[in-house]
Amino acid sequence: MRFFYAFFKKTYLTVMKMKNWSPAALLGLILLITIVMITAIGPFFLPNNPYMVNMAERLSSPSLTYPFGTDHMGRCIFSRIVIGSQATLGITVLVITTVILIGIPIGLVSGYIGGRLDSIVMRMADGLIALPEFILAIAIAGFLGPSLTNLMISVVLVKWISYTRVVRGIVLSEREKEYVLAARVGGCPTWKIITRHLLPQIISPVLVLATLDVGKVILIISSLSFLGLGAQPPAPEWGAMLSDGRPYFQTIPELMIYPGMAIIIVVLSCNLIGESLRDKLDSKSI
Amino acid sequence: MTTLVDFSRKPTNEPVKGEFLLQSLPLLEIKNLSISSFGTKKKEDIKLVKNINLSIKPGEMLGLVGESGSGKSLTACALLGLLPKSLKVTEGQIKFHGRELINLSEKDMRRLRGNEIAYIFQNYQGSFTPFIKIGKQLIEALRSHQKISKQDAKKKALLWLERVKLPANQVFSSYPHQLSGGQLQRAALAAALMFQPLLIVADEPTTALDVLTSETILDLLVDLQKEYNCAVLLISHNLNHVLKRTDSIAVMYGGQIVEKGLTNEIRKNPFHPYTKLLLQARPVLSRVVPEKLVVIPGEPGLVAKEGCAFAHRCPKSFIKCSILPKMKSVGDSHWIACHAKDSEADDTNASSKKCF
Repeated sequence: MRFFYAFFKKTYLTVMKMKNWSPAALLGLILLITIVMITAIGPFFLPNNPYMVNMAERLSSPSLTYPFGTDHMGRCIFSRIVIGSQATLGITVLVITTVILIGIPIGLVSGYIGGRLDSIVMRMADGLIALPEFILAIAIAGFLGPSLTNLMISVVLVKWISYTRVVRGIVLSEREKEYVLAARVGGCPTWKIITRHLLPQIISPVLVLATLDVGKVILIISSLSFLGLGAQPPAPEWGAMLSDGRPYFQTIPELMIYPGMAIIIVVLSCNLIGESLRDKLDSKSI
Repeated sequence: MTTLVDFSRKPTNEPVKGEFLLQSLPLLEIKNLSISSFGTKKKEDIKLVKNINLSIKPGEMLGLVGESGSGKSLTACALLGLLPKSLKVTEGQIKFHGRELINLSEKDMRRLRGNEIAYIFQNYQGSFTPFIKIGKQLIEALRSHQKISKQDAKKKALLWLERVKLPANQVFSSYPHQLSGGQLQRAALAAALMFQPLLIVADEPTTALDVLTSETILDLLVDLQKEYNCAVLLISHNLNHVLKRTDSIAVMYGGQIVEKGLTNEIRKNPFHPYTKLLLQARPVLSRVVPEKLVVIPGEPGLVAKEGCAFAHRCPKSFIKCSILPKMKSVGDSHWIACHAKDSEADDTNASSKKCF
């Protein structure tokens, strides 16, 4: 809890010093806030029911009733994108949180305690990192079977490694510093040294890593859904919508362009913010 | 003997029954301690600290002097069980207040650290975690050893900050980087003395400070030490500090103790050639400072592998020095480890046997 409090405080403080932000980062921030707002309140103002199939109106072009037109089942694309943002962003936030919750403790303990435990964890991580993460995610998701839960599990299993490695690296250099020794000499128990003296050091790098990863995680989730391993029809999810629109790409490219644009905007805004945060918090190692 | 003293009781300021006996018993006894670095596979282990013997009585201030790399800090680390993983105590005992410290479990060691043995660092910047306020760190330290409420802990921390002559309220709510070096070292002193430990290990506490600040801080340490009657192991390069303040001195060279005894005794008539040279190499302002001070020949850190560690640099060394000299008494609480002393007695032509 303490960690999350510090995490949000840091985010808040950084955001509050906005006047020093670069225009690119500001653009990213505005885009992201808009998207989050749409995700939060959009579903109450939908023009159409996103699940309602209307074969008579299928593949119609944009109109007042259907702002982005309709897909091959006659469903409103605009409504589906707004609803789909919940799935995409929700899963992403959940995945990043889980990854932080798994990666940080493992990295802290393995880095501070070291020895055989550290060797085992790091060899495991090396083995996982040797494979491209996307391929690995496909393999795990395919093995577990297509569903949103399994999709999340596969992304978490692939992603925790990079957090653990970053955290461990910082802990390795910090634990040799004299203030940690001073805490030990003062009779501070190990868990307290880890939570009080080492944990705050890793907030900034993890914050940067998390914002930069949001984009990547959205891409992985959408890609897996596109491949049919994630959200199952008729659930609206951007990647799945891309997949649905693929057969009509030659004739009606809008079916793929709208969800594709949504993905691009979210990923872009997250990357803009992440890069600017990285420069601000001066963690060059990531 | 141990049955006469209740070891679970922490000493108080009031004289207690049996205090006299406790006074005469050493608080800390290091017997035959050796520390070696692990050789990798077939490489030989390197002995860094060789069979040293030391004892500190309650309320005594012992100065441990010697050049860099002579094993002073290693001894202190071994005392607190803080040796790096590559080093290990290979022989000997460390007895503290009736307990054996080597092989003490980490849990028991943790209770001991801070509470009964305090440690003051050379690097005052490092004594506090940089992003937590001083006051919070003091409270945390207090609460990890004693069952007291936050308010009481705060009161106690403020009291101790005041006692080391700091503006307590201001320091309490500042971050370490907002304080000066002297202030930080004072705060570290407060943190160490807060528990009224039985022993304070001060590892070169004033190296990073200027002359006047270090004087005042050491004076403060001595005052508080006398007030609370705790023993101090003062590790230092600065002979003047050590000679001025300690009750007894141990001189180390190359991992061995070459001479130890009461400070006055050693100042007046040092026996070991190394101690003699050290004392002569120090400018004494009350006398006429010679144009050239004495220089110890050879380079620092030149340690003979067998026998007396100082043999390669010693002006008096002779063949016998390749055998490790044993500690022997040369006066009232004064011991040295040197062959030259005996040969001076039984052979006046010792210098003719010089071989180096």
